[in-house]
Amino acid sequence: MTTDAPVISAKNVWKLFGSAPEAYLKGMKPEMSFDEIRADGYIAGVKDVSIEVSRGEMLVIMGLSGSGKSTLVRCFSRLHEITGGTIEVEGQDIMSLSEKELIELRRNKMGMVFQSFGLLPHRTVLDNVAFPLEMRGQDKHARRERALEVIKLVGLEGREDYFPRELSGGQQQRVGIARSLAIEPDIWFLDEPFSALDPLIRREMQDEFLRLQQLLNKTIVFITHDFDEALRLADRIAIMKDGAVEQCDTPDQIVLHPATEYVRKFTEEIDKARVVHASTLLEPGLSGEGDPVDAAASVQSLAKLLIQDTRVAIPVAKDGTVIGAISRETALGILVGTD
Amino acid sequence: MADTTAISATAPMSRSKLASLLVGVAIVLTALQYLGFLPAALHRLPEAFVPDFARYLDAFFNFVKDDLGLFTLTRWLTGLLQTVLDTTANLLFGKRRWPNLGPIPWTAIAASMAVLGYYLGGWKMAALVAVTFCWTALVGQWKIAMETMSVLVVAAPTAFIIGLSLGIAAWKSPAFDRTLKPILSVLQTLPFFTYLLPAVIFFKVGPTAGAVATTIYAIPPMILMTTLGLQKVSPEVVEAGHMSGCTKFQLLRHVYLPSARTEILVGVNQVIMLCLAMVVLTAFIGMPGLGAKLLAMMGSFKLGRSFEIGVTIVLLAVTLDRMSKAWVVKQPEHFERGTPWWKRHIMFLLALGAFVFFCIVAQFVDVASEIGRKQSLSVGKELDVGIKWFLNIEWVKAITYFLRAFVNVQILIPFRNFLLSIPTPAFILLITAFALWLGGRRQAVTALIFFSLVALSGWWDRSVITLYSVISAVSIAMLLGLPIAIVAARTEKWSQRLLLVCDTAQTFPSFVYLIPAIMLFGITDIAVIFSILIFAMVPLIRYTIEGLRTVPPEVIEAAEMSGATRMQKLVNVELPLALPTMAVGFNQAIMFAFFMVIIAAFIGTQDLGQELQRTLAGTDLGKNFVLGICVSLMALTFDLTILKWSSDRKRMLGLEE
Amino acid sequence: MKRSTTALAAGILAALPMAGFAADSSDPIVIPIHNWSSQIVMSNVVGQILEGMGNNVEYVTTDSQAVYESVRLGDVTLEMEVWEGAFGASFRAAMEKGGIVDVGDHNAVTREDWWYPMWTKDACPGLPSWEALNDCAAVFATAETGDKGRYLDGPVDWLKHGKERVDALGMDFVVINAGSAAALWAEIGAAEADKKPVVVFNWTPNFAEAVWPGEFVEFPEWVDGCDKDPSVGPNPDALYDCGNPAKGYMKKAAWEGMEEKWPAAYAVLEQISFTNPQIAEMAKMVDIDEMEPEEAAEEWLAANKDVWMGWTQ
Ligand SMILES: Nc1ncnc2c1ncn2[C@@H]1O[C@H](COP(=O)(O)OP(=O)(O)OP(=O)(O)O)[C@@H](O)[C@H]1O
Ligand SMILES: [Mg+2]
Repeated sequence: MTTDAPVISAKNVWKLFGSAPEAYLKGMKPEMSFDEIRADGYIAGVKDVSIEVSRGEMLVIMGLSGSGKSTLVRCFSRLHEITGGTIEVEGQDIMSLSEKELIELRRNKMGMVFQSFGLLPHRTVLDNVAFPLEMRGQDKHARRERALEVIKLVGLEGREDYFPRELSGGQQQRVGIARSLAIEPDIWFLDEPFSALDPLIRREMQDEFLRLQQLLNKTIVFITHDFDEALRLADRIAIMKDGAVEQCDTPDQIVLHPATEYVRKFTEEIDKARVVHASTLLEPGLSGEGDPVDAAASVQSLAKLLIQDTRVAIPVAKDGTVIGAISRETALGILVGTD
Repeated sequence: MADTTAISATAPMSRSKLASLLVGVAIVLTALQYLGFLPAALHRLPEAFVPDFARYLDAFFNFVKDDLGLFTLTRWLTGLLQTVLDTTANLLFGKRRWPNLGPIPWTAIAASMAVLGYYLGGWKMAALVAVTFCWTALVGQWKIAMETMSVLVVAAPTAFIIGLSLGIAAWKSPAFDRTLKPILSVLQTLPFFTYLLPAVIFFKVGPTAGAVATTIYAIPPMILMTTLGLQKVSPEVVEAGHMSGCTKFQLLRHVYLPSARTEILVGVNQVIMLCLAMVVLTAFIGMPGLGAKLLAMMGSFKLGRSFEIGVTIVLLAVTLDRMSKAWVVKQPEHFERGTPWWKRHIMFLLALGAFVFFCIVAQFVDVASEIGRKQSLSVGKELDVGIKWFLNIEWVKAITYFLRAFVNVQILIPFRNFLLSIPTPAFILLITAFALWLGGRRQAVTALIFFSLVALSGWWDRSVITLYSVISAVSIAMLLGLPIAIVAARTEKWSQRLLLVCDTAQTFPSFVYLIPAIMLFGITDIAVIFSILIFAMVPLIRYTIEGLRTVPPEVIEAAEMSGATRMQKLVNVELPLALPTMAVGFNQAIMFAFFMVIIAAFIGTQDLGQELQRTLAGTDLGKNFVLGICVSLMALTFDLTILKWSSDRKRMLGLEE
Repeated sequence: MKRSTTALAAGILAALPMAGFAADSSDPIVIPIHNWSSQIVMSNVVGQILEGMGNNVEYVTTDSQAVYESVRLGDVTLEMEVWEGAFGASFRAAMEKGGIVDVGDHNAVTREDWWYPMWTKDACPGLPSWEALNDCAAVFATAETGDKGRYLDGPVDWLKHGKERVDALGMDFVVINAGSAAALWAEIGAAEADKKPVVVFNWTPNFAEAVWPGEFVEFPEWVDGCDKDPSVGPNPDALYDCGNPAKGYMKKAAWEGMEEKWPAAYAVLEQISFTNPQIAEMAKMVDIDEMEPEEAAEEWLAANKDVWMGWTQ
């Protein structure tokens, strides 16, 4: 799925909130902790983050409330001016963009769904969704048609002429989603886009995003508090704490090999059997006999087989060819949670 | 909750001690004065120490006017403004100027405006517009109303645009905001007479000066509301705008301004109301129209006719206000691709059709073009009879006689004499103590400086009399207004009704109250206070109702569940929570009282208003300003103090949004 | 209305032997309007006469005191009613500064003084003598004045010296200043219902005469210098110990440049002279008959051709 050069590439990005953040950053020791910085009257929204997102990838950012997820995404879209480091989008340093170039970039390449929706209170659903198109200067009828299309997609048809205040939280959120869908951006920032949706619609929306991503090869940065959601969507997950990225890896790696104590705690409650796939457990030098299991199968889905089978090593196949084998004991350990 | 009270309990302790100390000194000084031991110089500032501010100011104005060439500039602007005003004047009432088309027949204006009303707000709005315009024409006030409108249609949009631009600028640049804020505060408390004289001097007697004074008077609230609204726009909405690729201008035009719409609307409403209030007052500087007619009617003792003019003004105010609001709320309509042109502009075509139709009709039918006095349906005379009948009712006479004999002679006049007997320094200390106790140290220092300046101005006695009228009127307004408001606030229906009455009372031109006040009470302090009272009660009632009705319902439910009686609920829950909002109303009541006390000079007072009124006849710009600033300084002292208290209190109760 | 104006203009043009005049400027002649009816109607009458002669006329509403400054500067072209008592001071001040000219007196005389409506006489039969008034001072007492009588004087800025006169003549009266003319009327109007005796400041010619018949109080007759020299008048030690002049002038004034710019109009203005009854009638048409000033002016012109035709010749 992922290809060549990264679409977003962040290097040592800092975002400090406070009275004179630039000067403070220059003067401070790089290894200072979040709390030490706070003692000086600054908040490290983003703390020395380096991360890359490749084309077509879905990166999910997780972390406790206030850990800097939204701030990081705002840095990517330059809604925040970063305090230190560099961010490149498609090879271009976004901090060096002129206002005009930035507007062009946002009009044509980026889309964002906001955590608290950010709907324009004075515009109807239709006009809210058509807003980015209007800003681009699209013709009235064309943008109306396009807006109606996406409104239908998010299941709000019939409410085109409602005002945001007349909608429920979930409906408002869908307007926000529809608005970002309207321009079909290449790079998508989604800040807890489904938080207010009921499980059914949430699932539909997730499917829709997956479909779009696969179909159009979109790059998506997705913030969520919901691990299940992350698992359904993520190519990689970044876990943040106090502004810093603790670990950024595939879901399997994160649960199997948490980089820090914090990540371990964070993922403790998760049923690893659902997360870990056969392909992750391949052990070098091991080879098994008999029917292979699919590389993409989760340990949980293999539960029955693992319990009933007697083989020590079970072969794993990808696209029909065997690529290695897993140890049944290790897999069973994950299944019953003893690790 | 517990710890906040603890904190706030310690801080005011020392404050209130200091305040009592100041009061103590003031009492000692006053006692000395009564015993005759106080040197005269401590009682009143000796004339010799009074700096001649008026002359300095005059010198300054002359310098700006002549040496800096401001006069040339303003006279040039006057020419420009005159051209615009002449155009509207020609169209609306046929002044012989370019484009020489007018006057547009009243039926044409009324009909096309009604269509506009329908377009903006449906049948109701159309009916309101039609009623307003037909009334104006039928009572025979069309021409004078159009004289007023010809200035209003220039002044109100100008004030709106300037206010909006300055508001945006203040929001963009905090430094500009900081310099602008104090100026606006002063402008808002400056008596309107102080706007008039400079307007005449710089912009020539007549509609031009009227338009300028009106515009300037209406700008400050527009600026404040714009800034407030823009600051309140949620950052995420702005970010959404950024991410939609808005340019700076698009962001302002499509995101900021519409999101701040509620506040901007309030600003528009204020602009219209102030413009209408001012447009009447500018009659003093030669503005023709409703105001001038009103003054002329009052000058020849025609109560009924002046009352009718008042009604016209209220109707116009309500109509314009509603229309402007509807216009801002109006959503664009969507038409299917390929809708024919005429269908998309059907309303415009209808209005145009009505306009042309009536223009043609008016050529043949005289009443369609103008309703002269002889055809008019004025009921002025009948109203006169009604008013006189009312005043002659025995119990009305009995009440007014009692008020005059008791309240005026036994309470008001002694109170005034007492206030006047307090030595100046003691008076200043009392005010300072009040500001300290209610507001805080900063407010106290401000009060000290402001009132000392008033003392230095040399208009101390008149200032005290002004203050006396204000205090008396506001006190009585509280005694009367609060119970009414509390009772009305119990039900939604009565609240709405009372608020409607308040709105009407407020838009009714202040002058109209004066004559009945005199007829009821003669030329006495009580007539002055009565006319202030009507104005002062409006904000008191409005904010009390608002305060009581916005007490969080869960708090009331909690009180109900604790078994509180209605009275207990009111005293222990609702009033304390509503108090900060009521304080804002109280503050406005004081501001309105300061406004009205100046107008009450027409009854006959010995306060600053009377002197101000006198300056209008001359060219005494310096004196005019000194007097105006005296009023402004006193009003500001109260304004700053009470608002500080209110916001402190709100924060303490956790009511701040 | 428009039609009748043009008819009138035609009438005037027909009646005028215009030959002798140099052409007037086509700039509008600006006529000030104040807030009392006789002045408004009179200004309209004059305006319509001038319009009939082919001049452009425009009316502006101005303050009656500030107008002299405007006339001086040429912002306003003329002023029809310069009352000796009320505006003499402002007029003289403007004359001193220059730019304004005296265009002669009306036939009408003006008087301003203490005045009472007729019903007052019932309570105080000795009127109009001032001594009689003083004897029944108690009749004029109010809640605020105790046993002293109450006299309602004009606004302070009219400088009517009521208080000084009370002191100079040793009267038992308290002087209260009204804030405006309207306040005076309100006071009389309120007294009218049960015919309460009042004594207030008033003047003639004035609409009030028609609404409330009344008389001026007769004070010791005005002698020149009464306001400057204490020895003049009954009280040798005080100023203002006499009544106001019973026959004050009423002048016309104009901007200095008027004669040159609108010579014909100026010539007519010099001729114009109204009498007291004429002025009272004009005021009545508006104040009692409820006409609009312009209509009243038209009507007056139509009914009094013989009067004004003479001025235009
Ligand atoms: N504009 C700002 N000014 C000052 N501090 C800010 C600002 N924006 C964010 N912060 C601080 O930065 C930190 C990170 O905030 P951020 O909104 O990124 O958290 P988050 O991870 O998105 O939390 P949540 O899950 O609740 O949305 C917080 O401590 C917050 O207080
Ligand atoms: Mg967030």
